[in-house]
Parts: sequence; structure tokens; C-alpha cells
Amino acid sequence: METTNTDKMLKDFFSEQKQEIEDNGFSKRLLQNLPEQTDRRWIVWAFAIVGLIISGYIGINSNLFEQIMRLFKHISIYYLLGTVFCFPLIGAIVFYFAQNRTYRLI
Amino acid sequence: MSSTDDIRWVAQVALLGDKGAFDKLTCKYQSSIRRFFLNLTMGDAPLSDDLAQETFIKAYLNISSFKGISGFSTWLYRIAYNVFYDSARAHKHYEDIDEQMIDSQRHALNEFSAEKMDIYKALKVLRKEEQTAVMLFYMEDKTHKEVAKIMDCPLGTAKTYILKGKEKLSVYLTNAGYGNN
Repeated sequence: METTNTDKMLKDFFSEQKQEIEDNGFSKRLLQNLPEQTDRRWIVWAFAIVGLIISGYIGINSNLFEQIMRLFKHISIYYLLGTVFCFPLIGAIVFYFAQNRTYRLI
Repeated sequence: MSSTDDIRWVAQVALLGDKGAFDKLTCKYQSSIRRFFLNLTMGDAPLSDDLAQETFIKAYLNISSFKGISGFSTWLYRIAYNVFYDSARAHKHYEDIDEQMIDSQRHALNEFSAEKMDIYKALKVLRKEEQTAVMLFYMEDKTHKEVAKIMDCPLGTAKTYILKGKEKLSVYLTNAGYGNN
């Protein structure tokens, strides 16, 4: 009981003393003082272009595009619409759970 | 802003060297890190800003070593803790300090000092490790486990620091008449 009271007293004391510190240019000054690092954004574009070339090459040489188009022609429009409308729903559910769980990389 | 945002920004900084993403992380955590240093340095605002800047620069340079096992906030506090103790060892902030001079400087310079004197007096009752543990637990709302991670000590040791700090502080605050009104 006494521990609970002490905890409450300390929680109250520290929450009274706790205050948000205004940025007042701190972030801006820090950004100016950050050491320069190599800009690696080109990696994204390089991989995107290589991926596009590879998929285009495979698609053209293996008549994959024709097969896909043939597949779409034989699918009922209701299945197609159902599939298309399912994506945002699944995406929203995944996003909701991803926001709520503690993220672990490994 | 959730921990998912943190991970996204960390990934942007680590993979692309995106300073804009790091700026978002800085804006989110600058207040808590600067407050942490302000309390550890007993209200020395210029010093705590310098230490906070060093913490963020170290975080930026070593961001690829963040594994995501603990939250980004815990990882950042761990760096802050190391920066503070490295600096304290190098400059001996506490041994060589002229307390009266610092107090008068605080009154003149520090915008937070007037409201914060009570907490600094109270924190002086504690040992440095106890101060850190108590502040992380009660002010920064970290769990026992996170405190242990930040201070790089066993869970039992972190709990002991918090318990001892709590006992000393409660005696101090009760004697000072806190909570009687």
C-alpha cells in the first residue's frame, strides 16, 4: 500500500516537472551540422530500371504477355471486379494491424 | 506518429541517406532527449543542447547498426546515456563544478530553472545511476526492461537503482512537505 502511495507521489511529482521543450531551431541547426554522406538514392532507380528491363525481356521472349491477356479475356468480369475491390480491403486490414503491433525487424 | 513511422524513417536514412527522414526523427525526439540531458546536467541548457546534438549526430552516423530489437526511442536513449557518461568522464562535470556559480548562472541563463529547481534539488539526493534510472522510469515512462537496456545493466540492477532512488526521493519529498496540501 505504502509502495503504491510512494509510486503515485513520484509519478505526480515527475509529471508536474515534465515539460515539452520547444524546438527553437534545434533541428535546423542539427541538420546543418550533420556530416555529409553519399546519396544512395540512385540505388532505387538502378534496381527499378534493371527490374523493368529483365521483366520486359522475359515477357517478350516467353509470350507471357499474350498468355496473361488470354487469361484475362476468359475471366468473368465479376471475378475481376471482386479481386480488384478486395485489394484495398486487404491492404487496409494489413495496415491496421501493422500500425498496432510493436514492430520488430529481427 | 507510431513506431512504424520510426522504422520507415530509419530505413530511409540507412538505405538512402535521406536527411529529411532524419529531420523527422529529430523533431519527434528532440524534446525528450533534451529534457533527459537537462535533468542530468541539473539544468545546464547549453551543455544539454550540445550533448543532444552529439547524440543525434552519433545516431545518424550509426543508424545502420539499429536492429529494431528494441524501439528507436530506447536505442536513442542508450546513445544519449553513453554520450552523457563519456562527456562526464572527460570533463568531470560533477567533481569540478562550482555549485554556487552554476546556480547563479542558471538563474541568469536558463529559462527552465525557476520551475525546475525543486527537481534538481531532489535529484541531487540520488547517485548518478539512480538519477538516470528514476528519470527514465518516472519521467520518460520507460519500463524496467527498457531502463536496463538503456543503462546496459542486468534487469535486477536497474530495478535496484529505481527502488533505491524511489526510497530516497520519497523521504526527501515527504520531508520537504510535498504532497501534504
